[in-house]
Amino acid sequence: MKKIKLIVMLFVFGISISNTTNAQTYNNLMIPDTMSGTTFNLALKDTFAQLKTGNQTITGAINNHSFWGPTLFFNQGDTVRFNVTNNLNDSTTIHWHGMHLPAVMDGGPHQVIPAGTTWSPYWKVINNAATYWYHPHLHEMTLEHISKGLGGFIIVRDQNEAALSLPRTYGVDDLPIVLTSRRYDASNQFVTTNSSYGDYMLTNGTPNAQVSLPKQFVRLRILNAEIERGYNLGFSDNRTFYIIANDGGLLNAPVAVTRVKLMVGERVEIMVDLSNDAVSATLDLKAYNSGQAFGFPGGEPNTTGQFGSLLNNLDFTVLHVNVAATTSNPISAVPSVLANNTYWASADATVNRSVTITGGQAGAAFTFDNAAFNISTINHTLNLNAIEKWTITNNNVFGHAFHIHDVEFKLVARNGNASAVGTHESGWKDVMYVPRGESVSFVAKFDDYADPIHPFMYHCHFANHEDDGMMGQFVVTNPLGIGNLLTLQPDFVLFPNPVTDRLYVSFPDPSQKAYYVRVLNASGKTIYMLPKPELENGIDISGLPKGIYFLQLTDDKTKITTSKKFIVE
Amino acid sequence: MKQIFKYTIVFVSLLLMMSFIGLHKEPISDFKLKNVDGKNVSLSDYKEAKGFIIIFTCNHCPFAKLYPPRFNALNEKYEKLGVPLIAISSTDTIQYEEDTFIEMVNKAKTEKFNFPYLYDGEQKVAKNFNAQKTPHAFVIWKENNQWVIKYNGAIDDNGMQPEQVKTHFVANTVDALLANEKLKITDTKSIGCQIYYRNNK
Repeated sequence: MKKIKLIVMLFVFGISISNTTNAQTYNNLMIPDTMSGTTFNLALKDTFAQLKTGNQTITGAINNHSFWGPTLFFNQGDTVRFNVTNNLNDSTTIHWHGMHLPAVMDGGPHQVIPAGTTWSPYWKVINNAATYWYHPHLHEMTLEHISKGLGGFIIVRDQNEAALSLPRTYGVDDLPIVLTSRRYDASNQFVTTNSSYGDYMLTNGTPNAQVSLPKQFVRLRILNAEIERGYNLGFSDNRTFYIIANDGGLLNAPVAVTRVKLMVGERVEIMVDLSNDAVSATLDLKAYNSGQAFGFPGGEPNTTGQFGSLLNNLDFTVLHVNVAATTSNPISAVPSVLANNTYWASADATVNRSVTITGGQAGAAFTFDNAAFNISTINHTLNLNAIEKWTITNNNVFGHAFHIHDVEFKLVARNGNASAVGTHESGWKDVMYVPRGESVSFVAKFDDYADPIHPFMYHCHFANHEDDGMMGQFVVTNPLGIGNLLTLQPDFVLFPNPVTDRLYVSFPDPSQKAYYVRVLNASGKTIYMLPKPELENGIDISGLPKGIYFLQLTDDKTKITTSKKFIVE
Repeated sequence: MKQIFKYTIVFVSLLLMMSFIGLHKEPISDFKLKNVDGKNVSLSDYKEAKGFIIIFTCNHCPFAKLYPPRFNALNEKYEKLGVPLIAISSTDTIQYEEDTFIEMVNKAKTEKFNFPYLYDGEQKVAKNFNAQKTPHAFVIWKENNQWVIKYNGAIDDNGMQPEQVKTHFVANTVDALLANEKLKITDTKSIGCQIYYRNNK
């Protein structure tokens, strides 16, 4: 637990950004810190940032950031371990968006981290090289916690991506760009009630952001982390750029475009050629959001109110680019072949499911299949290794961003038409735009992780929609894996007890395993949450003050929870 | 619609002010809390006080950490005019070890607090004031031998840049009360970390 202390010591609150007085003044884009290796200590905290002239804005951030959090680099094949410490004044969760992992590690609404508690999930990275992210996912609190600025990028590397000639010098020719906007009250504090859109752009938490990019091909990993707004992105001179990756991996080949739509939760990796620009020339990455068909989030004409914004139905700059000198060994071309993905097709699916977007009228909240999210209702039960086709039908009043946990899927049809799926969305995805008046189908394989207890989520990624109940949940079960259920109360022994450093658990039945362990102090506060702990290594309790503690162990087979006392000396 | 809403608020506020127990006219109960010097402090200890600047703050909150020099300056100026400053920590010390009494003692030493820093472990005083954030300032004044809240909210309008402050809410309130002038601002939004109330009913 020394590492946790170190993180706490790193708690020097960062203060970002100079003041902004007008639109012509730019602030240098914040580039999130990086963390790599296999153990990641993340501490969530309340802090503040200078986002407008005048008083600072109370924000939430991770480690030494003042808004947002560090970028985590994973290598495919590594087992990554986390200590997520919640130093906020409130319970929250951290969801690993896009990661294929056991449901109990997923950080959805069921894995609540109480204030003051450390949650320690781990998993083996199976995902392809791509840009993922992590963010809070506490039901009914997602909008508030995401609005504070809590979140961060995950960049997965793998051998295929490493073998390609792509820009990958972080912060130089390979930049993470997170797009969002905020509304402020008269005291410069974020408005989070009755407000679907921000009025002022924040790019990586930077208002009026600018960045210097070298005169060569550069790679931008763009994430829409808005509450509801979509972005129709392009460059101010309408130049062509190349989509090289979707949410869950590289495309087979780059796709040349001048515009790309990015809905909440979606990521796109693009390459853009700056080699023909003069050094110190400028260029804007813009949202061309004016004149979109009704149902495009942020297309509404209002400038105020719940669905209004000063940015609605406008073309506006999200990042000002200053062209700088070429670096040594620049990337000078986009590879013509990026990957050799084998995608699922409609014909591969053995199960078809349909989800209909309902509600949303006369002031009612949006729902799926006429039922608001209920945390104790499992909406769908899937078989492990099933290949399923899901069709989301939106004969409703507005567009949505549909996201499903656990898997990366392949979009196979829009309105039943395979050729209507855009080339820009032809790769692995975990969020898809479901415009008004469309039904959209994807195929995914639900492999590797079965868990009859902890569900995965599917939901609209508009934070206000999911908070209001536009969410459902599914479990993946293994019909062949049900063994003989123990009928006896599962037992275990803690040793040594009293303990000073490392606490071990011994089971009378060697096949017994722990599904979940919680360590509580004498006043009942949860100190550690350990999903599927690897107990053969013991539990490091060296960071705990002397006293009486309780270890609550949930047995893997029976899911029966037993509590034992231990003493730290 | 907004206008109607505004007028409604004004009307309701007027009604409350006219009633005997107006929202902010309800007097504050005296309290007895332990100071960082180990002695108990109550409002009634200050026989000559005309009013108090009561500030709910804490050690851990990044925004509260910006203010101690300003607390010292306020007390330096107003204590001798009969309006001493009292700081109270009411945050959840189970969650924030940095806010425990022993750490308060250390904080008062390192920041050279020239005012009492009281430990409200049961959060009763904070609840009595309805304190929401750290820091959250109240100016209370003696009227008919009762302590009445005259101002609640932020200390000023810039936490990180004291030199950029445009309005000194607390100082302006105290100046006006001392000069027997009408208050221009009685409420602002307090900004900082939320005070989490344990067992809130």
